[in-house]
Amino acid sequence: MQDKATFVAIVKENEGLLYKVTRVYTDTQEDQKDLYQEIVYQLWKSFDSFKGNSKISTWMYRIALNTAIAYLNKSKKKVPQVHLEFELSHPIDENDGTTEKQLGILYAMIKQLNVIEKGLILLLLEGKSYDEIATITGFSSSNVGTRLSRIKKKLKENVKKI
Amino acid sequence: MELDEMQALWEKMSEKMEQQKQLTDTIIMDMTQQKYTQKFSKISTYETIGAVICFISAILLLLNFEKLDTWYLAACGIFTMGYLFTLPIIVLRSLKTIRNLNISTNSYKETIVGFAKAKKQLLLIQKLGIYINFILFLAIIPVTSKLMGGKDIFVTGGSLWKYGFIAVVAIAMIFVSRWGYGCYKNITNSAETILKEIED
Repeated sequence: MQDKATFVAIVKENEGLLYKVTRVYTDTQEDQKDLYQEIVYQLWKSFDSFKGNSKISTWMYRIALNTAIAYLNKSKKKVPQVHLEFELSHPIDENDGTTEKQLGILYAMIKQLNVIEKGLILLLLEGKSYDEIATITGFSSSNVGTRLSRIKKKLKENVKKI
Repeated sequence: MELDEMQALWEKMSEKMEQQKQLTDTIIMDMTQQKYTQKFSKISTYETIGAVICFISAILLLLNFEKLDTWYLAACGIFTMGYLFTLPIIVLRSLKTIRNLNISTNSYKETIVGFAKAKKQLLLIQKLGIYINFILFLAIIPVTSKLMGGKDIFVTGGSLWKYGFIAVVAIAMIFVSRWGYGCYKNITNSAETILKEIED
């Protein structure tokens, strides 16, 4: 019971993280909701084995990103789906059109990157240090730095295409 | 949009999200229920049904094997049985490898590599299957003709409509295989690109 309460509190606390990861890896709201539910399920499944050796956010990012990769590899097959009735939060006020438009451009730019780059830029935007990114992704810190500078260049080129 | 602007915008969005909590305890716990994830376990259902059909066919063939009374019919029968037993096992094993990738302990890099490698292996098997299917098609005709009609097609020959049917199926198989090969090639190439990028 205590476990359940702790888990629910952790998920609630990190709702934003789930929204951002799922939006980066999916193209439609239906897919986003689907991936969102799958991540929560995977978090629950591995919650018992989470020993607290790493930060909660590191554990959550790892599971969320890995589930997104698995989802990308599985979602090509159409299978019957069970949807829960819930709405994804809308991050920006609907009357704030400029920000919403800018956010659309930002996500479009990220979505043009490949799967490795998407994960790295997402973690950088989340304010993670190179060391934290390295812990989550399994790349070395120096490799993270090299890759991120390449991604920054690529993003600059991508923005011209949008 | 420069990186600084991107970060500022991202931060603004994150702050807004902090104020908009949408999930309730019930929704979160509903998401953890097995009923939702059953959809993923259905992914290999089609392959499993296919494998069962293959095994049943192979067993029936084995039980009637003495009816294949010439060396060439026996050779066709052995090839067909070998195919029906082996290919489904290899495909199911590949799917199991994909399913067994450990999402909770692997790093992002390991997960990407794991999926790319498993996908490449599965596609290689499916690509090989395209070519073997042609041989199977040729081997299964005399076998079924003998087992179901008691005729040795190599001795009696076939009727005109039978040859016509074989020609139509063969042409259809060529088109389907070419299309399938193109799809496999594209997916394999993208898996290889990702593996190469990981090594950079």
